[in-house]
Amino acid sequence: MTAQSLFEPISVLVVDDSAYMRQLLLGLLNALEVGKTFLGANGEEGLDLYRRHRPDVVITDAAMEPGDGFDLVKRLRAIDCTEMSTAPIIMVSGHTDVASVEKARDAGITAFLSKPISAATLYRRLAEVVCYPRAFIETDTYRGPDRRRRDTPFEGVDRRQAAAPQVTLL
Amino acid sequence: MSENDLIKASQKGETRILKVPSIAKRKLGQDITDPVRLDPRVLEKMQDTIKSLESKYAEALSEQVTRLIELSDPAANGDARSAADLYTIAHDIRGLAGTFGRPLVGRFANLLCTYIEGHDNIGPLENSIIRFHVEAIREALKNPDSDPNLASETLRALENLIMATMNQTRLAAG
Repeated sequence: MTAQSLFEPISVLVVDDSAYMRQLLLGLLNALEVGKTFLGANGEEGLDLYRRHRPDVVITDAAMEPGDGFDLVKRLRAIDCTEMSTAPIIMVSGHTDVASVEKARDAGITAFLSKPISAATLYRRLAEVVCYPRAFIETDTYRGPDRRRRDTPFEGVDRRQAAAPQVTLL
Repeated sequence: MSENDLIKASQKGETRILKVPSIAKRKLGQDITDPVRLDPRVLEKMQDTIKSLESKYAEALSEQVTRLIELSDPAANGDARSAADLYTIAHDIRGLAGTFGRPLVGRFANLLCTYIEGHDNIGPLENSIIRFHVEAIREALKNPDSDPNLASETLRALENLIMATMNQTRLAAG
């Protein structure tokens, strides 16, 4: 499977307040032959574009005004339509400290891409979220991809399995 | 399972696990083979895209550094608008310079951002620290092939300066 045929039917929404970053990401997504790319300059614009075009994947910056990336992720995850609220979200950020990455993860991102980005990391992340979906978790306090990346042995009661049967989206 | 059922379940304090279908399979059919490696031809095309934007970005970067120099004094003298603009530019540089082959410029910009971010709650910005960083960014832009050992030492010195200043300010604040 080549990148061209893999990404050609995919649409991506890019949200970043830096015009250069938007231009760079647009160029890289074009090189990957992503079918459609939509560009937004802040969280508010991003949400509006998302509702109008329903892209398959969202790539968002963290620090923006009005409406930063964390707020955008929470609002996307809160959309009352399962297909829309479970779309993969890649956060691109220069804040790579543990607290910032955890904040992004707890907001409900699917993948984190640290700035400065490289062609290879963008390509890899996009392929990951397009090909290898993670289970989606809904609780009172969290709505987003399963934050446990590793399938390691667990001692005790698995409350997630006990609480809910798995549901497959059609 | 309807959308309303999912929301009701969540309201009752239940946990729900949803298996999300692969976008690739949804768009390309169930029998597609997942890619196992990155296609080198595509990577080359992406690198070409970055190269094609490099010269345009270099011009913009030069303008941004000039603006950083202009903003240094008013930002350090307490002008909030200048400090905010200075941070915005430094933040932009830290995110992009590395991608366009200017990693050192990006690292100095990252340090400047770290300093400003750490100062949100502990006091005014210090003129000398702002100037040292902006000067380091300017030098790294002017001499991209400078001695890497010297660059590492400068980075370390600036990191230490930031730590010392922030500790001092915290102690003074009680």
